[in-house]
Amino acid sequence: MSLYKLELESAIEKIKEEDAKIVCIQLPDGMKPQAKEVADAIKTETNAKVLIWLGTNFGACDIPLGLNRLKVDLLISWGHNFFHKEKGW
Amino acid sequence: MKLLFLDAPYNGEVKLCKETLNYLAKKSYKTIGLYASIQFSNNLDKVKKQLKKASVKIITSKAKRTHSKGQILGCDSYHNSLNLPDNKLAEIDCYLYIGDGRFHPLALIYRQKSLAKKNFKEVICNDPIDNQLFLVDFDSVRGITTKYKSSLMKFLTAENIGIINTVKPGQEQLSTSYILEEKYPDKNFYHFLDDNVSFDQLENFPFIEVWVNTACPRIGFDDQEKFAKGIININDAFKAEKILQTIN
Repeated sequence: MSLYKLELESAIEKIKEEDAKIVCIQLPDGMKPQAKEVADAIKTETNAKVLIWLGTNFGACDIPLGLNRLKVDLLISWGHNFFHKEKGW
Repeated sequence: MKLLFLDAPYNGEVKLCKETLNYLAKKSYKTIGLYASIQFSNNLDKVKKQLKKASVKIITSKAKRTHSKGQILGCDSYHNSLNLPDNKLAEIDCYLYIGDGRFHPLALIYRQKSLAKKNFKEVICNDPIDNQLFLVDFDSVRGITTKYKSSLMKFLTAENIGIINTVKPGQEQLSTSYILEEKYPDKNFYHFLDDNVSFDQLENFPFIEVWVNTACPRIGFDDQEKFAKGIININDAFKAEKILQTIN
């Protein structure tokens, strides 16, 4: 059993709801070894192509740039929730 | 592009270990500030019951950058980041953090960096994964704050300042950087852009005397050692003289 819940049902439900064709998954370092499990589940349960973000996932403030240019429909980011940015701290 | 955040909640039971309950009793703490990382913050019912049984009052809040009550982020590391009024802060005997690792609870230490010793509140951590108590204290970051002080002094006397901005939308503070430049008209400000801060590139700009960080507030502290010229956070740069007088 993994330490943290992957919530794959929620991920797959959102992909279907959005009819996402290309999905990028972003995992924090501790969960990156589970990228295979996540990608395989999405590929099995949906028709979406899966891109795995290799880089950092420091927080909800750290969303990958340039995904729109690659026509990514949905980014799923694990380990964080919505971030309220403070202008000027 | 749509965005979905998944909390990745902890799979096991979230409760206080005996060691933590004994420690709270030994110290006679009656009111605690309760915070947790998102993996644990939505599953604190058992912890709250245990505290109630031990007659410990809970104070918590929705910290400034978080999305849910009781959650704390690593960047909730400045004095007013918990969104609690002074009377509530004064009521707290100690902070109790639920989660693993030192990154999040250290935010509770850094946000007290300018408090007088008598007002400083201990940070107790209960790790539900290893079912153990651990403490984080100010002494463990004293070397960092000492270096931070010298960086503040350098900032006040330096002529050429490098401000590091990130292109990440969640962190970018470029307009604030320009406001800082206006506050110190006698200094030369050079605005740098990056995505992740490239520490190995800093030495390529030898004309910079000291750096100002506008990205993650923790860079100014946790990565202090990576900046040979010193670095301060932008919020402290605005009131550098005052911070220099108060920081522990």
